Amino acid sequence: MAEAIIEEICDFLQKGRAKNVKKLVEEALEQGIDPKVILNDGLLNGMMIVGGKFKRNEVFVPEVLVAARAMNVGLSILEPRLVEVGNEPIGKAVIGTVKGDLHDIGKNLVAMMMKGAGFEVHDLGTDVDAETFIAKAQEVGADVICMSALLTTTMPNMQTVVDTLKEKGLRDQFIVMVGGAPVNESFAEQIGADYYTADAATAAETAKTAVEAKVA
Amino acid sequence: MEQFYELHGLKVSSDKKKVLDAIDCYPDNPVYDEIAEEYDEIFEEMLSVAEPVGILGFGKLPKEIETEEYREGTPVIYTVTSIGGGISQRSTQAFGEGDYVKGMLCDAIADDALFSMEDQLVEQLKLRCAEHHTGILRRLEAPHDLPMEAQRVAWKYLELQRRFGIGISEGYMLDPVKTSCQVFVLTDDEEKFRAEHDCRRCKNVNCRFRNIPEAEITVKEGAETRRIRMNPGESLMEGLIREGYYISAICGGKGRCGKCRVQVLGGGAPITAEDRKAFSENELAEGWRLSCMLYPKEDLEISFALDDESQFEILSDETPEEQTNGSGESAYEIAVDIGTTTIAMELIGKDSGKNLHTVTLINSQRLYGADVISRIQASNDGKKEELQKHIRADLLCGIRKLTDEAQVPLSKVKRIAIAGNTTMGHLLMGYPCDTLGVYPFTPVNIDLIHGTFEQILGSDECAAEVILLPGISTYVGGDIVSGLYAYGFDNEEEVCLLVDLGTNGEMAIGKKDKILVASTAAGPAFEGGNITWGTGSIAGAICSVEIHEEKPTIKTIRNQPPVGICGTGAIETLSELVREELVDSMGLLDEKYFSEGFLLGQTQAGEKIVFTQQDIRELQLAKAAVRAGVETLLVRYGITADQVSKVYLAGGFRYKLDRAKAARIGMVPEEFLDRIHAVGNSSLAGAVKFLGQENGEEVLQKIVEKSTEIGLSTDKNFNEFYMDAMLFGEE
Repeated sequence: MAEAIIEEICDFLQKGRAKNVKKLVEEALEQGIDPKVILNDGLLNGMMIVGGKFKRNEVFVPEVLVAARAMNVGLSILEPRLVEVGNEPIGKAVIGTVKGDLHDIGKNLVAMMMKGAGFEVHDLGTDVDAETFIAKAQEVGADVICMSALLTTTMPNMQTVVDTLKEKGLRDQFIVMVGGAPVNESFAEQIGADYYTADAATAAETAKTAVEAKVA
Repeated sequence: MEQFYELHGLKVSSDKKKVLDAIDCYPDNPVYDEIAEEYDEIFEEMLSVAEPVGILGFGKLPKEIETEEYREGTPVIYTVTSIGGGISQRSTQAFGEGDYVKGMLCDAIADDALFSMEDQLVEQLKLRCAEHHTGILRRLEAPHDLPMEAQRVAWKYLELQRRFGIGISEGYMLDPVKTSCQVFVLTDDEEKFRAEHDCRRCKNVNCRFRNIPEAEITVKEGAETRRIRMNPGESLMEGLIREGYYISAICGGKGRCGKCRVQVLGGGAPITAEDRKAFSENELAEGWRLSCMLYPKEDLEISFALDDESQFEILSDETPEEQTNGSGESAYEIAVDIGTTTIAMELIGKDSGKNLHTVTLINSQRLYGADVISRIQASNDGKKEELQKHIRADLLCGIRKLTDEAQVPLSKVKRIAIAGNTTMGHLLMGYPCDTLGVYPFTPVNIDLIHGTFEQILGSDECAAEVILLPGISTYVGGDIVSGLYAYGFDNEEEVCLLVDLGTNGEMAIGKKDKILVASTAAGPAFEGGNITWGTGSIAGAICSVEIHEEKPTIKTIRNQPPVGICGTGAIETLSELVREELVDSMGLLDEKYFSEGFLLGQTQAGEKIVFTQQDIRELQLAKAAVRAGVETLLVRYGITADQVSKVYLAGGFRYKLDRAKAARIGMVPEEFLDRIHAVGNSSLAGAVKFLGQENGEEVLQKIVEKSTEIGLSTDKNFNEFYMDAMLFGEE
């Protein structure tokens, strides 16, 4: 019985049916199912499946968007209960677009997917300087710092963040991920970032794997 | 002159399909309906929070952003458009609230709304460039064509902070983010206007709006090269035409006339069946292809055939050898004939009444097909506006040339009289043509039309009054009325005949109390159309032919090396072949020449100019149509050929028509031989006369009233005459 409702949540989430997801999450809680199970096996599992399909071109941006929105609706109901039971997210991430750059749509999509992967996401917005990134990461005890840049002129500011981390002796405390149209693997390597990913779904997946490896 | 122009009254709009496409949301997507519905709910709200602003400013490229190609001091226009920060704020907010669909839609709407202002910007650019007498060579955008710093230069130069509160980030991004900035490189060539964004040059390969054409074509014309981008599904010819190249496509791009040939110098161009017909193995190997049949799948480098007609002015016997000095008249008038194939115009001094200058040019609507039927079809297929644009542009171009060359200010032109067939009139006026092509062939309006220069030609550069001469029916238009007027049919005591040997083969018989008119589908053969080596009356066109013992002696227009055969040349060739009995009474070419054609001469490049069996057939059909039309009119008028006092052969042959040769192929009855007047452009002559006469309108009206149209296609007599008229030399 319990498994059936979780499976249903997972299915409806993949189809982006926010109302059904909301109703079923409420029902599952009433049935006394562990909120962690609802989260991991229902919501996050559903998002992971959608993310995987997106990467394999089986579904496209619209399906991901509606699924993520359904997940968010489910999550907002679940969150108070997760706090009660002391659930820990799989990791914490701070994310932002670097200093001088005002683009935010790509960064927003990464934040969405990270949330869908079970991260606690702290979105710093756009035009974020190194100090702000680092201060926030320290404050929340982040595992990952995600940076986005859409311009060749603002890309160097990713380097500034990494360099500042090094200067402060904090580089090892955080996994640094970069992305954005002009960014690539070799640039990531060159500035000393840990990962470059090309799309939002991969970013979330990579972050998850990296955090799990770090913990282990 | 102003340096800065703020763009006021900018409108922003959003195209649902484009927005949904931008987020990969197509109708076959399972969540399409949901997202489409959401779009409907939010787009109005989003557009209402937009705060569109824009500005353009003339300036120069400073040192800090010069490129290898465009150095410091290059004159440019900086432009900035912005939709404000409102929509982006909503997007960010929605993402924050977990409503990702709305967030994404807002962002895509913002992009689309910003793009939607582009057309308005381009319109402004055009206007201001015209005022400043400058053209646009290229559009540059940072960071692909210019360093990002160009945005700071533009921001400072245009004072965006003060004017619009637009800020700039450390990385030279304009704030709000949905703001776009371009730099347009200027040129003295006012004709150039290359303001479009070039996705190929942009490195943002993941851009949702990226629109990469199928191929890029490098066109080499002498020392100059130019790049044009192909749209998907477009033939090379269509692409070239779109970019303003003149391509003589008499067959309308069906791979038949061979006029659109180009030489492919680099890149792959598969050989089509039509290419095989049009070119020899050697030519194919040299890369010659028909551009109408070539759908580029990769980048190509091409050049044109040397005998590109656009380089030549059409010549006629009436072209004055020397230019008369026309200055000193108090005012000027212009007479215009819009032919299906060619446009002719004449500048007349108001005081002296003298013809001061003549200009002829090719009707660029030809690319939509050679005859009126294909133009009507094109108009019905949604090309109405395009066709109007073409004819207006041709007329403006001709009028400017006419006044420039005669050194007469355009402002002193007070009146313009235009004659043309009904279809040409409809296309110029922008009337729908859907009733012209189907029974009962009702025209929208064929009355005499008065209008201003702006109303009829769509340009305010001249304040002249423009008059379109009236027509009789859909198929007997203002050009024939004008011709009848030119030769005084309204006053004529004896029966006269006027035959216009243009594409539509209009003709009229009568005198002052009664006129019968008709039109017959002669086709463009008399004007060199559908003839293998056919060409307009251009320098180098073979215009006179004599054949003795199977050896041709040819003359070309202006004695230039031969480039083709004009209508007159074609008639003469056929006439001589008939006389030499190399063409039999059925129109069959002698066996020796049957497959290769009869050799008339060689081009400078060594190509053989031949006259083929197919050419004979084309002319045979044309002459039979004319002859049968004439015979039918005689019968219906109730007279015989010898009772006709004067025969005016007009149009078609603008060049030295030999009456005897025309009669020999049986185009007109032999009785006419001593009374044929080859009158050239009768339609233009009528327009000229109209401008010089006080009561012109009245007389034209009288001619229209006295005229009755005979429908030839259903006429029993006509069909019998037609079969007989197909034959040669059986008088």
